Amino acid sequence: MEATVSRVDVPRPLPPEEAGRADFYALLAALFHHGPDARLLGTLAIAEPLDGGDPALAAAWSSLCEASAAMDPEAAAAEYESLFVGVGKAKVSIYAGFHGGAGGAQPQRVRLIEDLAALGLAFPAGRTLPEDHYAGLLDTMRVLVAGGAGRGPAGLPQQRAFFETHIAPGIGRFLAAVAEAPESNYYRKVAALAQAFVRIEIESFNLG
Amino acid sequence: MNNQSKPSSRRKFLLNAGLGGAGAAAAVVAGRQALTGAAPTVTKEARGYHVSEHVKKYYKTTLV
Repeated sequence: MEATVSRVDVPRPLPPEEAGRADFYALLAALFHHGPDARLLGTLAIAEPLDGGDPALAAAWSSLCEASAAMDPEAAAAEYESLFVGVGKAKVSIYAGFHGGAGGAQPQRVRLIEDLAALGLAFPAGRTLPEDHYAGLLDTMRVLVAGGAGRGPAGLPQQRAFFETHIAPGIGRFLAAVAEAPESNYYRKVAALAQAFVRIEIESFNLG
Repeated sequence: MNNQSKPSSRRKFLLNAGLGGAGAAAAVVAGRQALTGAAPTVTKEARGYHVSEHVKKYYKTTLV
């Protein structure tokens, strides 16, 4: 009797620190995609502190959670609109091309689309946001770390390459602009969390 | 030896930063929940929008 063997792909669970990275990317992607809804604000409001970890990350996390308890979704949406959308001109550009420096926005977008295609990814059909929106870039990192969108996790060199090419060049300037904008209140806390997390990411890529 | 110690030190660094500890569970919950409410930003590559030579030419014309 002939045995039939076929390949079965069983996804391996992510190590906890990689799951944590993916979830921070997911959270930041969502917060930069739109203002937090009541459910997310409620979850953040009752979240446990990050004890014993990076002090800046822990402080920023606690501060965001406290702010979430005092924030309502309408005010959060209004602040998001005022900062990143606005009527006429946004107070802070949420596009990497604006903050990325050399090369300009358009060649950067071309390279982004090509790099995504090489990773087996693309933007959904009908998407109206420009490709270099930070929500999309952060969500791409979530997919590269944890898998999703029809593909498995990417290796660390691929994650690092995407981060260093498309996120690192401008995210510091972007987050500083968010933190310094007079209209920024809740999003000042979001920016602080993102700054602490990005600093950890940069340092960890240098170790790996 | 160097190749083996590097991933281990990166892992230790991330765990020490609080990304893998029990305290990060809140971030995990918030992150996963946040995703369910967000529109997908990337998807599996399909035969949709691609950067054609025409598009590249257009982008070049927008450079100042």
